[in-house]
Amino acid sequence: MLSAQHLQSSFWRIWALIKFELIRLFFTKRGMLAVLAFATAWFIILYYPVNSAVSIVSSENFKDMAKQMFGVLGLSELLNWPVSELSLYWLIAIYSFPIFAVIASSDQTCADRTRGTLRFISLRASRNEILFGRFLGQVMIISALILVTLLATMIMAIWRDASLFVPALTKSLYLFKELFIAVLPFIALMAFFNSFLKSAKLTAVITMLFFGLGSIFIAILEYQIPAATHLNYVLPGVQLDDVVGQQGLGLSHYIIPLVQTSAYLALASIFMKRSAL
Amino acid sequence: MSSLQKQPLIKVSNINKMFGSKHALNNVSFEINKGAPVALVGPNGAGKTTLFSILCGYIQQTSGDVSIMGHKPGSAATFGSLAALPQDAQLDPRFSIAHQLKFYGQLQGFNSKKSKYEAERTLDLVGLKEVLNEKPGALSHGMRKRVTIAQALIGEPKIVMLDEATAGLDPLHARQIRELVASLSSETTFILSSHDLSELERLCEQVLYLENGVLREHQTLTNEADLSYITLRMANAIPEFEQKLKAISQITQVTNTQDKEYLISIEPQENDLPIDIQILQLCHDNNWQYKQMINGKTLENQLFS
Repeated sequence: MLSAQHLQSSFWRIWALIKFELIRLFFTKRGMLAVLAFATAWFIILYYPVNSAVSIVSSENFKDMAKQMFGVLGLSELLNWPVSELSLYWLIAIYSFPIFAVIASSDQTCADRTRGTLRFISLRASRNEILFGRFLGQVMIISALILVTLLATMIMAIWRDASLFVPALTKSLYLFKELFIAVLPFIALMAFFNSFLKSAKLTAVITMLFFGLGSIFIAILEYQIPAATHLNYVLPGVQLDDVVGQQGLGLSHYIIPLVQTSAYLALASIFMKRSAL
Repeated sequence: MSSLQKQPLIKVSNINKMFGSKHALNNVSFEINKGAPVALVGPNGAGKTTLFSILCGYIQQTSGDVSIMGHKPGSAATFGSLAALPQDAQLDPRFSIAHQLKFYGQLQGFNSKKSKYEAERTLDLVGLKEVLNEKPGALSHGMRKRVTIAQALIGEPKIVMLDEATAGLDPLHARQIRELVASLSSETTFILSSHDLSELERLCEQVLYLENGVLREHQTLTNEADLSYITLRMANAIPEFEQKLKAISQITQVTNTQDKEYLISIEPQENDLPIDIQILQLCHDNNWQYKQMINGKTLENQLFS
């Protein structure tokens, strides 16, 4: 049984690991370059498509076309959102943040393992603490970036029409929750790959193969055995196409990513415990 | 309390480690108690680093038991009590030395102020206080090694394992590290792996000698065991040296262990002049220059002759 003191010490160590991750991104040269690249990309997204969202959406011609097109794609609900900036933000963010999460969290433990730095850390923190500390650090980083982009979108909407403050705030909080849950399994998948791969580059390649070849393999298997369709639940983001339209969302849309996250972290924990440092 | 005090710091029972078909450690058992530094020696590939890695919890043994102060290697109870300088491990090049040492201190449970103090204290111990705010990339190989020794001293751990601590250091700094180990060994039990046997001889009282994964020797370097030997290093090669030495009644055997070095076996006799005096007298009478006289066998001769 773990005593309260042990738990407290464990939380302290996990918190120290989280802080180190936050500093790695926001206070190191390489980390700041990554943030700068991220900020530039989002500046372009916010300045062009999102800023023009109102004029695009309010044009009658576009409305008709969008209604037809979005209706086919199951996105017509988005046209009813009072803050059009957030509609477009959501369409871009729901697919770009998981990709960004994969890139940003592709090096959680592998470089430290290859360099031997993990040997210094593992004499002071358990492998599970290292795994969860690094994972939670990445989650906090991605969450902070989601919040910043949401805040920027909100400011743009309020700048246009101050009366949108309340709907923009409530919708932003809702979207934060949605995006937060959506990125979790991607970060957990990276934690899993990091538990046995030796470099961030290799992790990125394996991730591409995992999603690319994995989908093809499941599709072929599905053709032979229909029950193999359940294998799709192995792939993080399997629920994204259903979530993006924001229509008829059930509990399963939250349970799938949360279960995937737990499963990948459990696998990562097993691999971390067995791996040589 | 007394049972805790009597408990060995490290207890290894019949451990085996296989890498594929290679038997890296073969049924190794030993105990290490609190005290003077312990030497871990053996040729390349003997299993020293494998044993270090198992003791630190970096890898798991295939079979057998290892206990560090009564706990499994890598368990939370050993955090802060066991530290190591693992071979070839490097600090993160993106962070300053101070930042990383403070981070290690915080992981050991120290608050920000105390971990900063520990970073400064340990760097001072290895003579590198001035590099506190440097990044590892700005340091030489030897300096980086001393910094990693500093990380092993954070929080004054009970056990410190140093794998090839002085390899790659210049003689002055190697000596500084030896002096550091000697000065801290009253509080900390060091386990040193090195190929420099004279270094280990100076520091250690207990020797673990590994060869092909088997623990060949587990001995204590005490004076008592050495009373029947004298090691003599001469300045020049002297053809009739062995013959003349053997003429002294107390000397039973003279072995030329290596170039200009002799291992002299003696059988002390109470009424005679002390043997070392007799040997020195012989050297003086013949005008032979000697370099060094050692009471007993050198560690090298204990292990290899």
